[in-house]
Amino acid sequence: MTVRFAGLTALDAVSFTVEPGTVHAVIGPNGAGKSTCFNVLSGVYRATTGSVRFGTAELTSLRPHEVAALGVARTFQNIALSPRLPVRDNLLLGRHRLTRAGFVASGLRLPGARREERAHLARVAEIAEFVGLGAHLASPVGLLPYGVQKRVELARALAMEPKLLLLDEPVAGMNSGERVEMAELIVSVKRSLGISILLVEHDMGMVMRLADRVTVLDFGKRIADGPPDEVRADPKVIGAYLGES
Amino acid sequence: MSRLITWAAVLVAFVAVPFYLEGFWLQTGLFAMSAAVGAIGINLLTGATGQLSMGHAFFLAVGAYAYVSFSDDLGLPTPIAAVLAVLLAGVAGGLFSPIAGRLRGAYLGIATLALIFGGQHLLFNVEHVTGGFNGRAVPPLEIFGFAFADAPELILMNVPFGALERLWFLGGALLLLAALFARGVLRGRPGRAMNTIRDHEIAAGVMGVPVTRYRAGAFVLSSMYGGLAGVMLALVFQRTVPDYFGILLSLDYLAMIVIGGLGSVGGAVIGAVFVSLLPQLLTRYSDALPLVSAPGSGGVSPAEAARLLYGAAVVGVVLFLPGGLLGLLRSLRLRLPSLPTPLPDTRSSHVS
Repeated sequence: MTVRFAGLTALDAVSFTVEPGTVHAVIGPNGAGKSTCFNVLSGVYRATTGSVRFGTAELTSLRPHEVAALGVARTFQNIALSPRLPVRDNLLLGRHRLTRAGFVASGLRLPGARREERAHLARVAEIAEFVGLGAHLASPVGLLPYGVQKRVELARALAMEPKLLLLDEPVAGMNSGERVEMAELIVSVKRSLGISILLVEHDMGMVMRLADRVTVLDFGKRIADGPPDEVRADPKVIGAYLGES
Repeated sequence: MSRLITWAAVLVAFVAVPFYLEGFWLQTGLFAMSAAVGAIGINLLTGATGQLSMGHAFFLAVGAYAYVSFSDDLGLPTPIAAVLAVLLAGVAGGLFSPIAGRLRGAYLGIATLALIFGGQHLLFNVEHVTGGFNGRAVPPLEIFGFAFADAPELILMNVPFGALERLWFLGGALLLLAALFARGVLRGRPGRAMNTIRDHEIAAGVMGVPVTRYRAGAFVLSSMYGGLAGVMLALVFQRTVPDYFGILLSLDYLAMIVIGGLGSVGGAVIGAVFVSLLPQLLTRYSDALPLVSAPGSGGVSPAEAARLLYGAAVVGVVLFLPGGLLGLLRSLRLRLPSLPTPLPDTRSSHVS
């Protein structure tokens, strides 16, 4: 796929495939086009040319909520939660595509809407427990520490029951303890839920430990693609990171 | 339990009002109820979804004039005319919703200015429907033979029950229903989607919320609340006046939700009561107040003084009370745990 903003080519004929049930990492120096790539995958930006396919579905021209409806969830690098709502409501938002209650049903508190709310609240509590947020369900998100908010981001994406999870720098800005916890969490998401994960990350140690396959971008171009060990030894990758030519 | 007692006390006080207070207070209270319904509507749109609207007065006008026209011109029974008027306001909102769904925040505010100016032009010039400059008399509501008017005479416990006394209970019931409905919306699935659109539009889309559709839906719902407020206002005022439905009314509504508290039902109600009581109180007691003189006598008129005061209130709230008066009451309640407040415990959320 290729993405252009006016004269700037942010992504230039980048192509890769995420195998089902694996962790696939996209890495690259700042400005390499990683986030642009994510925004195309989740429908926020539209590719100028090229296509994005998810299984048999064509995502290229879908709007974000239509992409979400197919089972693609994502987290944001900069936290994108509703700070004044409690964790519970932020997670329930993730259930949006799985629930039905509209204005009339919610306004009149119809029995169907109340039953739906109860059932999904129970599932949200399970997910919160799994992510280690069980104690925070009623706290407004804005009052929680940064590391916990990042986990709420992940939990909200998991609440969508996705088939593919896009994680945009899940450990950015965290201290080392929080990083280890988050890495363990991602491993257990992959193992116990069987979700395919696409990961953008700067923390090389974490990428090498978690990823089954790594794609390296630099200036909008794919410069390497392969298993972590192979990529780490690639002279072009070393060049891009250390500034040699 | 203490909650139940509080609500019972509120109910008793509400029922007692028409037996003890004179017409002036009833009318003021009824204006406040109508304003509260309208303010709940704009709080759903501006407070909860983050979409600014300057066109709220237009939807009040649609409700008020449609009620008059449906009942007088088409000869429909008045309750049906009232329901149709609310629906028509919703349809008017629906016609504008392709724009309301696509414009964000302040941009929508600018676009809705067109509704106000276009709407007032129609009110003044489509004379056979709107009565032009002088407006039209509003036929009283009549439900199953019970008229919300001064005649036929009705005396309860030695108190003559005229139009205002009868409307008092109708207004209270409508406000309660409107508030409960809005609370259900805000606390349920649509409310979460609306709040997320306000806080982070892109995240809302990625989480599966069809952003355009929800913005349009919130706009239509808020228009219907405006329409209902318009019908109530017409019934209380007994005349529709085109001048009233101008941009100042829209600004009043925005002031209400900012002062009361953005994004919640309780905030809308408190703000509506504050903004509609203030000018009435100042008019009533203008003799006793310094700097405020009777209208037309050269000094600061009560209406102007009221605008200045709540202009100052808006500034004060924005600077010192980010949660509005509702937030203030809540923090007072936290400090005095033994003091229950009669406010519904709505979710507080404010435009950032």
